[in-house]
Amino acid sequence: MKFIVFRYNPDVDATLRMQEYEVAASRGMMLRDALMEIKRQDETFSFRHSCGEGVCGSDGVNVNGTNLLGCITRVSDLKEPVTVRPLPGRPVVRDLVVDMSQFYQQYRAVRPYLIRRDPLPEQEILQSPGERDQLDGLYECIMCGCCSTACPSFWWNPDKFHGPQALLQAWRFLADSRDQATDERLDALEGPYRLFRCHTIMNCVEVCPKHLNPTVAIGKIKELMLKKAI
Amino acid sequence: MSRQASGFRAWVLQRISAVYLGVYLVYLLGFIAIEPPQSFEAWRTWMAHPVVSFTLLLFFVSLFVHAWVGVRDVVLDYVKPYLLRVLVLSVFAFGLIGSGLWVAKVIFLAGQTV
Ligand code: SF4
Ligand code: SF4
Ligand code: FES
Repeated sequence: MKFIVFRYNPDVDATLRMQEYEVAASRGMMLRDALMEIKRQDETFSFRHSCGEGVCGSDGVNVNGTNLLGCITRVSDLKEPVTVRPLPGRPVVRDLVVDMSQFYQQYRAVRPYLIRRDPLPEQEILQSPGERDQLDGLYECIMCGCCSTACPSFWWNPDKFHGPQALLQAWRFLADSRDQATDERLDALEGPYRLFRCHTIMNCVEVCPKHLNPTVAIGKIKELMLKKAI
Repeated sequence: MSRQASGFRAWVLQRISAVYLGVYLVYLLGFIAIEPPQSFEAWRTWMAHPVVSFTLLLFFVSLFVHAWVGVRDVVLDYVKPYLLRVLVLSVFAFGLIGSGLWVAKVIFLAGQTV
């Protein structure tokens, strides 16, 4: 199979180049396996990966124009030649390795942890099964960044717009019956940028390898704001 | 409008104006399709009716508010240099306010002369 891979090493290259590789596809071969094979052929090539089973979120790449996880994408499902690029809009550290700092900053900004006013109890804070269900489709996010780096609003304002990943997590804590900072969280999302730069383009929904839906979460945040306002 | 309220409020205004624009547009098109006024005088009489004047004025106000939020969104995304941003927003602000005053004048005059 023919792979065309983005190459750029800022220390030695004046500019990026697209390099071709031939990899013999085997049965059940994932894109991550193919990238590892390329690495065997050419040691100068770099990419991130770890768990190999769609759990760690480290091998998000852009393949034939779509963000996906290399380890859970069969090469047989990809159209040849397979063009592999780094996640769009992020500064390239080297080859497919990008700098995700802004993505993490946006995550940190939504305070992704429970905030309690009441004194903490001795044991766990209990939830009914129904309350727990509210967190389904939210907590599963593995922070691969496929969504935020596919979002045009995040491309234009990665320093100000939280992006779909962080907003999904903002809703994850707003929706948590144990959290007691609803008003603070909503206030922190005000302004024209942090939340409201989302124009419901839904690129995020299309690419999420965990089939999560940031757009619905963003809609729920707006709905809650509306409820609080009237 | 404080800077703090410029996200949520803008979004609400955009939704509300969109609903009004949609509903009123259906009415307007229906009106023009079914019994269009045949003369200048007929148009004027129609517009001079207080309900029409009021709802028509509201239609244009909604249109300009909706356009303002939309233009502001585009500018926030694509026009980064501060001075250019101020300039573009000012041009649209003056344009929209000017059009609003002009529309108000037209509707008001229609009511005056009947
Ligand atoms: S929402 Fe989906 S695409 Fe986005 S970071 Fe989480 S798992 Fe990845
Ligand atoms: S729906 Fe919102 S967050 Fe998702 S890609 Fe579109 S603009 Fe970005
Ligand atoms: S290697 Fe961990 S998600 Fe792909």
